[in-house]
Amino acid sequence: MAIVYNWQLGRTMSYWYPESRPQRQYAAVFDLNKCIACQSCTLACKTTWTSGKGQEYMLWNNVETKPYGSYPLAWETKLLEMLGPQTWQDGKYLGRTIFEAAPAGERVLGWRPDDYDYAFPNTGEDDCAGHVERGLALDLPHAVWFFYLPRICNHCTYPACLAACPRGSIYKRPEDGIVLLDQGRCRGYRECVKACPYKKVFFNPLTGTSEKCIFCFPKREQGLQPQCFVNCIGKIRLAGYISVPESANPDNPIDYLVHVRKVALPLLPQLGLEPNVYYIPPVHVPVRFLEQLFGPHVQNAIQTYLNAKDDPDLAGLIQLFGCTEKIVPRWKRQNDWILGIEEDGTEIVRVPLREPVFERPLFDERFQVARHNCP
Amino acid sequence: MLKLRLPLTLLVGAAVIVGGCRRHAVAPPPQEIQALLVKELPTDPTDSVWRQTRELRIPLLLQDLVEPRLLQPSTSYVAVRALYDGRRFAFRLEWEDATENADPGIATFSDACAVQLPQKVEAVLPAPQMGEKGHPVEITLWKAVWKKGPLLEKGIQAVYPNAAVDHYPFQAASLVPGATAQQEMALRYSPARRLGNDVASVPEKGAQDIMAEGPGTITPLQKNSQAQAVRTAQGWAVVIVRDPPAGFSPDSGTHVAFAIWDGAHQETGSRKMRSAWVPLHIVQN
Repeated sequence: MAIVYNWQLGRTMSYWYPESRPQRQYAAVFDLNKCIACQSCTLACKTTWTSGKGQEYMLWNNVETKPYGSYPLAWETKLLEMLGPQTWQDGKYLGRTIFEAAPAGERVLGWRPDDYDYAFPNTGEDDCAGHVERGLALDLPHAVWFFYLPRICNHCTYPACLAACPRGSIYKRPEDGIVLLDQGRCRGYRECVKACPYKKVFFNPLTGTSEKCIFCFPKREQGLQPQCFVNCIGKIRLAGYISVPESANPDNPIDYLVHVRKVALPLLPQLGLEPNVYYIPPVHVPVRFLEQLFGPHVQNAIQTYLNAKDDPDLAGLIQLFGCTEKIVPRWKRQNDWILGIEEDGTEIVRVPLREPVFERPLFDERFQVARHNCP
Repeated sequence: MLKLRLPLTLLVGAAVIVGGCRRHAVAPPPQEIQALLVKELPTDPTDSVWRQTRELRIPLLLQDLVEPRLLQPSTSYVAVRALYDGRRFAFRLEWEDATENADPGIATFSDACAVQLPQKVEAVLPAPQMGEKGHPVEITLWKAVWKKGPLLEKGIQAVYPNAAVDHYPFQAASLVPGATAQQEMALRYSPARRLGNDVASVPEKGAQDIMAEGPGTITPLQKNSQAQAVRTAQGWAVVIVRDPPAGFSPDSGTHVAFAIWDGAHQETGSRKMRSAWVPLHIVQN
């Protein structure tokens, strides 16, 4: 075991390999306030990557309803129960990660799903927490709530799958930090399936190898965002590159959301993997539930997001999500316009801070015709 | 001087008497595999020629040297018989295993066994745990799941017989089944097969050959080993026919090691029961 620094925990931790950060880390921000669980992302991924034999059950991208949905079944609650209650103090994690809690003989604390656990990919869909009581009024957070959690591989800085593979079949690309599983080298031991806390490595029973999300690396190499991003009709996703906090660049949209405004948070940071998909938490959900999923900074993130109506930079950048297929490495606001920019300053896309509103009179005097939405 | 010599003489005499008594006791079984020299090697575990060989019960150890380790013991021993035809070895491995684990699946694991020999005759034996850098071993592997045949060709119904799949892109009506273009497209959806990963295919002769220079270093070999298995009342009997180490001389013998995986115990990869090196010598009837 080596000692590495995990900025999401605010401390060093044990990991199987020494710290070796990529030249740049491909990352993403998902705005959970905008996801409607249409599953366009799921289908975009499925049709692109996992429509082969033995991949029928695989969902490299899935969207589940929280609190009751999970794919595979109980992927997070089972592990959290194994790990037991842990504590944060002043933004620093005092508990044990899954590397530090690894039992004797194991590299990582984990569990391997049964095939039954994959049999209900959309269980709990739209199931609410709470009861509708008499006198209930709409307030924040909602007393009765659910939200949608879209999930892909987190292409972690400290991947548990990579740590667990006894053959070194999983590697993290130095050029972009994408975590890949070598299909020529894997021997199907499924240690990665057991170790990944997000359960985003899947075993193909017909080829005998494990397979996982590749963050659409062939598209990234062409400067394009992944399939599940560009097919998102809710425009909830933005792909880019994240820096370590001390090198955060406000002109970088991911850095701005994660490090500068701290409005986007990692999923289950306490497990210690430093995941690189960040979530803007849903503002209507009780903070105590969200803190278990996204760590101790949820309240601040929600408050920052709620203030976005008076915060043109933040509101503007959120408008940039889903507006171009290209990866947007830089951004800036020019008055009421938000610009997505290449590294060399070339403009990629320009979106208005607020969509223009046109009022159409019921009767068009010019053409002497009534304008109805419904004929 | 006389005082000193007398006790020594007594001690030596006593040792001879005790030693003599032991020689008349039941001789312990040989802790070596005696490979019987025969003209022809059988591949069938039930072949009568195996009755002419001496069986050696080899105790198995937990693989608890490298992570991920096996900490709960399962198979306690493997009973081994061996034959040699002047060119190749045939090993017959038999072990107790109450459950047959030969079904493919997302969460199932196959029963399996392996025979390991040094890749070449060396003055120093490679490490018994899959060799070491510069001192490779060659391993012949058998898996129960292979008896199900080529899974990719059978499709998901090999795992879930009642599964219904609407469509695979490489089976579109516009493609001619079996045509080169169609097959190439199908391969793109099975990257492990496309890359020639040996685990994505069933070996023609029932065994896979691999070499290793330490844990985690398995590399496929193009050799010609064979395996055949039968399910017994108590477990498995498997015959593995394979080459001896390079430079092997029947006069000097070699060493061999074994590994057993119990699928019901979710044993796979380094989670296995293994033996130490066991000496092997050629004997004649």
